Amino acid sequence: MKKKMIFSEFFRNNGVVMGSLLMGLVGFWLIFLVILPQLSMLDYSFRFNLPPSEVGGPKDVYTLSNYQHLIYGSDKTHQTYNTVDLMVFVRTIIAAMAVTIFNIFLCYPLAYFLGQSKGSGFVRLLVVLLIIPYWINEILRAFALRIIFGDSGLLNEALMFLHLTKEPIDFIRQDIALYAGLGYAYILLMLFPMYNVIESLDRNQIEAARDMGASWPRIHRRIVIPHAKPGIVSGATMVFMLSAGALAAPQILGGPSSLWFTQLVYQWFFNSLNWHQGAAYAIVLLVSTIIIVLTVMRIFKVNMGDIGK
Amino acid sequence: MNSKSLIRIALGVYLIIFFSYLLGPLVVMSLTAFNSSGFPSVSPWACFTYEWFNVLWNDSAIREGIFYSVIIGLGTVALSVSMGLAASIVLTQVWAKFRSTYYTLIIAPILVPGVVLGISTLVFWDRFGKFLGAGDGSMLSNLFHNGIFLTILGQSSFIASYAMLVFVARLQRFDPGLTEAALDLGATHTQAFRKILLPFMRPAIASASVLAFLASFENYNTTTFTIVDYKTLTTVLAQKVRLGINPSISALAFIIITLTVFAALAFEAYRRNQARQEAVKQGKAKVKSGGILPSFMTGNPAAIVFVLLAFVAIVMIGTAQKYSPEQCKIQVREAKQAEIQRRIKELQEQRLIKSQSEARQGPDIFGAPEEDTGGKPSGAFGGVFAPGNLSDDGDTQEPEAEKPSGGSGAFGGVFAPTNLDNGEGN
Repeated sequence: MKKKMIFSEFFRNNGVVMGSLLMGLVGFWLIFLVILPQLSMLDYSFRFNLPPSEVGGPKDVYTLSNYQHLIYGSDKTHQTYNTVDLMVFVRTIIAAMAVTIFNIFLCYPLAYFLGQSKGSGFVRLLVVLLIIPYWINEILRAFALRIIFGDSGLLNEALMFLHLTKEPIDFIRQDIALYAGLGYAYILLMLFPMYNVIESLDRNQIEAARDMGASWPRIHRRIVIPHAKPGIVSGATMVFMLSAGALAAPQILGGPSSLWFTQLVYQWFFNSLNWHQGAAYAIVLLVSTIIIVLTVMRIFKVNMGDIGK
Repeated sequence: MNSKSLIRIALGVYLIIFFSYLLGPLVVMSLTAFNSSGFPSVSPWACFTYEWFNVLWNDSAIREGIFYSVIIGLGTVALSVSMGLAASIVLTQVWAKFRSTYYTLIIAPILVPGVVLGISTLVFWDRFGKFLGAGDGSMLSNLFHNGIFLTILGQSSFIASYAMLVFVARLQRFDPGLTEAALDLGATHTQAFRKILLPFMRPAIASASVLAFLASFENYNTTTFTIVDYKTLTTVLAQKVRLGINPSISALAFIIITLTVFAALAFEAYRRNQARQEAVKQGKAKVKSGGILPSFMTGNPAAIVFVLLAFVAIVMIGTAQKYSPEQCKIQVREAKQAEIQRRIKELQEQRLIKSQSEARQGPDIFGAPEEDTGGKPSGAFGGVFAPGNLSDDGDTQEPEAEKPSGGSGAFGGVFAPTNLDNGEGN
């Protein structure tokens, strides 16, 4: 009953034509592009991978086998664990967290510097310089790092020229290139939210604290960081989600023996042609990353409404 | 005072590190586009060349990819900007208790991994087609399995959230009283929207469109699942980079970087010009005239840099028509040849010394075929230093001349003694 009233008010405010146009667009987006696809993927992940003729037949029942495969592998007795896939999953999550923390420390000083020294031409130049790599294709950025980290790449040549090493270091196989690439790919998504909140901090607060004799670390701990917290958490959320879900960087920069979890999903889809298994893995990735993000937001007492500001 | 200058130095060092991490790879990649070496690298610099731009231009897969990327980009802009605008208007009117849930719903697609969005789009439309009873080969089924259609929907699902964020920021400054006044004066809701809200939102619509187009153009994670049998620029690039890289990709990157730099400078120059004109209008600044520079460049460093860079670019394109690195290439080839000859000689001498010492020690210490491998008996590349392998290896282009370019298996025939006799390198 109440709902009906809201709708009638909505249409009174917007008129029938505009009201239904707005409703239609939002409804199409949320229902057909967001909610139903996710639900159908969830449903899909609980079904067997059957040949087309048997779909909808008596064998087409719900099953947990796709999820069990992640934990136990192809072992039907559930004695041994699927260590390969589980290790990939754990590694993906931990590495994504490490990349996020690395980005926080790397970006915070710059965000503070840019946010607090407003208006000068030099700062404007820096911001323009920051925006340029933002619009270069993700794949091209990974490619650029590959040129640098490759076997006969610039970094190895430089190290050998300086006689720091004799043999070229295999950065790709040791995953150094991958971590550098992931950090590189999403660093600006950490910087800009931080910069925006620090810019809104009243400089007088810092001055006042300094007049009262507070040291720099203390000023940052008690004034700047609490103020910047929504920006830091929103940046961290985006970097974590995007690096855990990254596909291009691991494909281009990852070592041949180590995989990223999204690459497993990709393999289930395109190499094994088992969409159900791939959907199950994708659900695991989605749910676990969301749980981690919500936990972190709860710990730091930040709302969803702060994201994207 | 002392600690202040220390902080300044630390800040300078930090800024240099940060920006070289950010921009260094792009600069290096741009440089590799001009090196004639077949593998993208800068350190063994061979010749300055424009040939990779030619290779790029003649690459039909990339041209096709760009074509589909633009089509998908335009479709995504149309869909996601209108959905984002509608969602932001609804956000201002939604029932207060429901607002945070609604906001979470429309912001969530940004946070969902692109892979998940791609898969769910693919799966959903496949099943939706079956649900509607569309048989294989019918028009509806073809549409729901069409890569362009699926990619536009998949990308719009999260790009609409970006557009929505742009609109929300602008809508906060909108005065709803204007619309009410129009309605009081007898305008219909549609008229009020078209004549009041839409003109107010126009700058935001422009920037959201640019943002949406770029986001669509560079998307990979979602596209790779939804594109099915079409190709976009990013999927073509990903395939090329994974299968084997050559500097024509650097050439493409160089073009994109140049365009980005020009766009950023033009935008900055335009903004400064606007700000200046505003200041002149308000009487805060005087109109300087009679300088050497044209009026739009005065007090506008971005515009000056823009014009200078444009000049450099024109000169480069002009010389590219005439410049030919053939002479240099021949020199590099000769140098390489000399290097190979030197190596062969070295190895021959080594072998000579070795065989002499072996002759003294007796033949059964080394196995018969292995003794040919010279100084490196057991390594994977061992046999390739054998002289016969290189003897008619006239035009080795790659720096990795050590790799066996002939032979049947990976390193198959190189250990065989016959390999040396008839000199079958290639």
